[in-house]
Amino acid sequence: MPRARVIRDMKARATVASSEVVRQAFRYLTHNTTLPAKVRAQAQLQLNAFPRDARPTAIHNRCLETGRGRGVLRAFRLCRFQFRLKALEGELPGVKKSTW
Amino acid sequence: MSTSVATTGKLALLQKISTAIFGNVHNPQGLRTGNKILRQRLVGPTINSYYPNVKQIRLREITRMAPEMNLIDQAEKTRLEDLAERKKRGKGPPKKGQGRRSALKKK
Repeated sequence: MPRARVIRDMKARATVASSEVVRQAFRYLTHNTTLPAKVRAQAQLQLNAFPRDARPTAIHNRCLETGRGRGVLRAFRLCRFQFRLKALEGELPGVKKSTW
Repeated sequence: MSTSVATTGKLALLQKISTAIFGNVHNPQGLRTGNKILRQRLVGPTINSYYPNVKQIRLREITRMAPEMNLIDQAEKTRLEDLAERKKRGKGPPKKGQGRRSALKKK
């Protein structure tokens, strides 16, 4: 089983993906200044009613191997130490150790 | 060079006509219509595919699907044995109405 933090992040990602279309529709209503103020205020309330995980900022890239939340290389989805280990093992194609 | 009132009016008209021709939105005051929200790409599929979708297979699922294989879950077996042992020593769960909380309630 993955770590609890990773499970939490998976859940957040699923929530963001499922509620994205409706949320963007409400966001459009709130950002549209040509609409009546009442409609926009109601759309804002609807946005607030979404779960906390529905915001795209609730997600955080984590290491696939260890679940570490800091120092994660986006291209490899690994934290810096796992990246080093795997690169030295030759498991990452095209990654080579170099000195200069 | 200063543009006269007539020229600015013509320029506005030209813009209006050109937006109609090229299918653009005519918004001379530059009001915030929220169209930038609609222009944004949906990031849900990308976000959702960050972790590889690996299904964790549990031993319990195998035993449920194929009970004829008679697989033994060692951890579960040990747990049940320990429970039986505890019950033998009188350390099992109390009967309803005999526990500490209900004893407090009776006072």
